[in-house]
Amino acid sequence: MNDLAFELSGVSKKYRYFTLEDIHLKLPRGQIMGLIGANGAGKSTTIRVLMGLVHQDSGEVRVLGHRMPAEQVAAKWDIGFASEDMRLYDSMTLDWHMRFMRSIYPNWDASYAQLLLQRFGLRAEQKMKGFSHGQRVKAALLLVLARKPQLLVLDEPTTGLDPVARHEVLRELTGVMAEEGRSILFSSHNTQDVEQISDQITFIDRGRIIDSMDKETYLDRWRRLRLEVPLGIELPPLPGIVGVQRRGRLAVATSNAFVPDLAHAYEHTGVRVQSIESMTLEEIFVANVEHNREEVEA
Amino acid sequence: MTSSVIGHLILKDWRLNRLLISLSIGVGLIALVIAQYAGGAARLLGSVWFFVSLCILGSMLPASAILNERKKQTLAFVMSLPVSSVQYTIAKALSTSAMFLVPWLTLLISALVFIEMRHAIPHGIIPMLLILAMLPLIAFCLISAIALVGESEGWLMAASILCNSSYWFVWYLLARIPSLTANWSGPVAVWNPAALIVLAAEVGSIASIVGVTFFFQSRKRNFI
Repeated sequence: MNDLAFELSGVSKKYRYFTLEDIHLKLPRGQIMGLIGANGAGKSTTIRVLMGLVHQDSGEVRVLGHRMPAEQVAAKWDIGFASEDMRLYDSMTLDWHMRFMRSIYPNWDASYAQLLLQRFGLRAEQKMKGFSHGQRVKAALLLVLARKPQLLVLDEPTTGLDPVARHEVLRELTGVMAEEGRSILFSSHNTQDVEQISDQITFIDRGRIIDSMDKETYLDRWRRLRLEVPLGIELPPLPGIVGVQRRGRLAVATSNAFVPDLAHAYEHTGVRVQSIESMTLEEIFVANVEHNREEVEA
Repeated sequence: MTSSVIGHLILKDWRLNRLLISLSIGVGLIALVIAQYAGGAARLLGSVWFFVSLCILGSMLPASAILNERKKQTLAFVMSLPVSSVQYTIAKALSTSAMFLVPWLTLLISALVFIEMRHAIPHGIIPMLLILAMLPLIAFCLISAIALVGESEGWLMAASILCNSSYWFVWYLLARIPSLTANWSGPVAVWNPAALIVLAAEVGSIASIVGVTFFFQSRKRNFI
């Protein structure tokens, strides 16, 4: 059995005003990957390529061991997909949708579906047109989760949800992982949601993967150093420093490969290190994007 | 297993569009009754209604069954199921065709039964009735093909306007073929070469539309 939930190698897709460029991405089975990017960064395109809904121009995509898009039918039996812009049939009830899914998927777990109905506070007999946005998202997730898929692919599932609904959805996603071998790819521009549940985090910007590693490594490597620079001293360019903002004698340096020696290196040049601060995932994402854009434009 | 998914998709479309199908059958049957039992202007009105009900169904069904899936963003839900884009097209082609053919055949057979039983309308009209009844079927196929391949409301509207505004012109052209019109008030249906050629051309155009649709759909690289 292949031990990867999915693997994208050198995937490119060109549109008139947007290009997904040379995407390399893989997720071992049993893990959650958060895909973070600004609007229009390429999250949805990456996910659509992964699902076989959009055919890549070049590169190889394998999902649960199946080549995509050629073997998408076989792969989709074990993939649960939901996206923020996905709608269910307005004129039909949630119960009709549940029966429809149950008729297709032999793995449908009716008792789990009932449990989710209660947990999400949904009414099966209600027509979809009467559902709020949050209820629609939860209904779509119910239909996906009760199928017990090996891989969950969720494109911005928490966008537009209130804090309570977001918490319910994230709790359920975490619960899914209790079953061995199940994996989740989950895109969002909300770094808090991703940070809460992900093992691995990938940043995407302007159609390119700019960084991908496990959450702890991000949090360990990225630091903000507050510096006091005496008059007449220039800040030296040090390895691992990806951005410096200077205002008079004060400067803030951002490092993506922090080691204690970095602070010593500054002090060695006469710069006083006032503090070394951890960064939130959102700060890391923004600093990463800015650094990457500077590099591309240089 | 995949054929069973296609079956479920077809049943789903039937369920979602059953009101439209029932309405078109109902309106068409009422029109037929008027055409058969009324006289003078009411008979003409009933005959026109009969064709109009098929023409409207031919325009509305592709919009409701095909384009709405994209417009109302339910396509992503369908495409998350274990089907490929070609299998989706097969399911869509089968379901929409069946949803059109059931009322079309019901109304056509009813019209033939009425003509046979009531003798109010001469049997000579039967070849022309079939030729004219094929027109909404061709229009339906063309509008459905454009809805599937074009994926936009604009294209669908353009195709509907083109088809619906062409009926009268085609009727006019057909009425100018003497060998078609010579026998339509006669007591017997005459299947002369002109009638058979026109019918064959109509069937051929439907086959071409279906072939071209599957050709374009199988070459699509972006389905959503």
